[in-house]
Amino acid sequence: MGSNLINRKIFTLLKVQYSNMLEYRVEIALWAISGIIPFFMLNIWTNNNLNESINITDIMLSRYFLCAFFVRQFSVVWVVFSFEEDSLMGKVSPYLIQPLNPFFRYFAQHIAEQITRFPFALIIALFFFIFNPDSIWIPSLGILFLSVISTFLSFLIQFLIQSIIACLCFWTEKASSIERLLFIPTLFLSGLLAPVSSFPEYVKTWIYLTPFPYLIDFPANLLSGNSINLSGGFSMQILWILILFPVFRIIWSAGTKKYTAMGS
Amino acid sequence: MQKNIIKVKNLSKSFDISSKEQGLKGTIKHFFKRKTKRIKVIKDISFEIKEGEIVGFLGANGAGKTTILKMLCGLIYPSEGSISVSGYLPFRRKENFLKNITLIMGQKQQLIWDLPPIESFYLNASIYDLDKFEAKRRIKKLSDMLEIDDELFIPVRKLSLGQRMKSELLAALIHEPNILFLDEPTLGLDINAQRNLRQFLKKYNKETNATICLTSHYMKDITSLCKRVICVHNGSISYDGKLNLLLKKLSPVKEILIICRSEEDANKLENSSFSVKNKTKNEITIIVENNSITSSLKNILNNFDIEDLYINEPPIDEIIGKILIKKEYGI
Amino acid sequence: MKSRKYLKVYRQFLHTSLASELEYKTNILIDFITAILSLIGSIFLLSIFFQNDGGIGDWKFEEALIIQGIYTILNGITNTWFNPNLTEIVKHVREGTLDFVLLKPIDSQFFISLKKINPSGFLEIMLGFFLLIYCIKINQINLNLGFLTLCLITIICSISILYSLWFFISTTTIWFVKTWNATEVLRSFLYIGRFPLNSFSFSLRIFFSVFIPIAFLTTIPSEVFLGLSQLWKIFVEIIVAIVFLITSRKFWSFALKFYTSASS
Repeated sequence: MGSNLINRKIFTLLKVQYSNMLEYRVEIALWAISGIIPFFMLNIWTNNNLNESINITDIMLSRYFLCAFFVRQFSVVWVVFSFEEDSLMGKVSPYLIQPLNPFFRYFAQHIAEQITRFPFALIIALFFFIFNPDSIWIPSLGILFLSVISTFLSFLIQFLIQSIIACLCFWTEKASSIERLLFIPTLFLSGLLAPVSSFPEYVKTWIYLTPFPYLIDFPANLLSGNSINLSGGFSMQILWILILFPVFRIIWSAGTKKYTAMGS
Repeated sequence: MQKNIIKVKNLSKSFDISSKEQGLKGTIKHFFKRKTKRIKVIKDISFEIKEGEIVGFLGANGAGKTTILKMLCGLIYPSEGSISVSGYLPFRRKENFLKNITLIMGQKQQLIWDLPPIESFYLNASIYDLDKFEAKRRIKKLSDMLEIDDELFIPVRKLSLGQRMKSELLAALIHEPNILFLDEPTLGLDINAQRNLRQFLKKYNKETNATICLTSHYMKDITSLCKRVICVHNGSISYDGKLNLLLKKLSPVKEILIICRSEEDANKLENSSFSVKNKTKNEITIIVENNSITSSLKNILNNFDIEDLYINEPPIDEIIGKILIKKEYGI
Repeated sequence: MKSRKYLKVYRQFLHTSLASELEYKTNILIDFITAILSLIGSIFLLSIFFQNDGGIGDWKFEEALIIQGIYTILNGITNTWFNPNLTEIVKHVREGTLDFVLLKPIDSQFFISLKKINPSGFLEIMLGFFLLIYCIKINQINLNLGFLTLCLITIICSISILYSLWFFISTTTIWFVKTWNATEVLRSFLYIGRFPLNSFSFSLRIFFSVFIPIAFLTTIPSEVFLGLSQLWKIFVEIIVAIVFLITSRKFWSFALKFYTSASS
């Protein structure tokens, strides 16, 4: 009975947010386009035959970057900016009174936008295949399924990290600067611009201890059919979620305590 | 002989609004093709305002008062008709025109949030081509008029609402404009701040002979400041003239508050031929036409046992409220 | 005199903006660290490209560093002037205070473009400058007056083009209010400026020269530094800069016309 109520809440939230998303068609298209960096990077790699230096065929590299694009599209998170904007406009107070953690609202927003983006992402993939006919392939159903899960886990990790940073809004004015700072290692170390296998050895020793390679590199390699450590990758993703979720809960309750104590 | 400083003739304004159907299906349709409707918000209005007048624009939400005001400033381009303010076409926004006007909007601020107001004043002064001495002099004069002093050196975000309002006024008036446009200036202010604002505007108008056009929901603003009122209803002007004439013509009734000795008496009165406004226990308020006051009073005093009696004008809000709701009232 | 007034007003802008920004000193520090990390990350990426006898275009590693330096300077200028004013205009449109700007007897494009300044960008400009000086040393470039003048001209043109692109996005606020999306698209495309133009394939090279002039922003000034540039390229850049500036102004007047006939 309880779970039914929660399901209904989730469904209604999704429906409302989806409606919202459709209003902003131009914005959605723009978001999809802004994920285009992997393709430019791919162009640099293939145009200069750099794939030879890391022993990958350029077809596999192409597929990697296409998958990196997809993984990025469906795991990108912007909750810090939403939260900061809402707190500047004073919308957070009414949210706090409602019996629903406002981050559920943001979560639904993100999922809704991803659903709206899907057609645009498919169109971009189509263009990719037109320009790179050698790279056309269809992943098996099993791989597809696992990749979707892995991408969702990557999304969760990024969502949690950003939510933790967003909670810093309770203590400081400009949490978005911290997010911009954290974005740099995400950009370079996650595999968006270059697959982790191309990194020098001294980086590879410690990078797998951070969450970064599991954000893009692991799901993209999984989807494109490159060889990877399946169980290792999944367990690390789940481990990071298990670490980050309680941290988020703690910071959230500390933040709301401070917020309500100070009286906004 | 005061000349006309604002001349409006046959002014109209239409907007294109996109419309959407209800529900998810409507949203999807809207996603692919937007429908737009053309709505005429200002319909063929004309009026003239003399220099030094204080004119109030009255009307319900959405009647078009703010649109008229913004067209007078030059912020909205008219669709048809002509406007002339101080001999200029407002929407050209020529520099000399802009130096002569100011716009004050309730709850919207132009002061820099993190800095003391004085910094914003000097910034405005340089934008309006005032040298430092002139700026200092005007700041002193206005701050005396507004009765603020030390607050000018405290960051705006730390000031109270009333202090912020006064600082906003100073910033808006530092270039000594002779036409003031105020859009809901008392919105969000407490009673004291509202009173201060009204007194200041009256003083300012007296000392500088500045023309003031203001829109407001608060009747007290209009009744305490404006001798002339322009009523806007659905984009047209339904009344343009003296406020007291309007009030006289619209209130051909008086309210009589009767305090009866017992509740039964009040009930008897309630069931009589008078029109009752409201009744609580043994107090009852009835509405009586002006020309039948004497006969009604005779009736009440003769036939009913009452303890006390008060004769009042209906509240001004209600009188003016009638203007907002009724379309025609034969004026 | 008109220009005296505008200079005076600009001095006031500087004074008021710096006074309010310096209230947030930690922000400046965080932004500076972000700039440093971003530079380190890009150099790290470059080193990946150049490992194992790889290379991009016909450029040597030391030469590619010059592009990084110029990019950092341009990015610093963006963060100092273009970005903060973009945030301002979004605030104006959202809060309805754009009217105050339009009623001031001063050019609205001047007001909107220059009102705010973000001092953390200065540090980034200096960072790029030092990198540039280091590159001049290791590439053993000869400095003479003619050379420096050419460099200055090309960089000023790059700044003008960059300004026009950002101001274009600022102008679209009048229709779209929220601009994260357009900003993200611009940022993604501009990121390409970190790499020499001929690391890309022929078709992309055309795209980045004709449609989105990234090439002009960083590659042409870098070529001037290395003495590789040809005079006709510099002429083209000057013409492109002028065209962009004029177009941005025309677009702004168009947007204002829309704003004044459509808002209520």
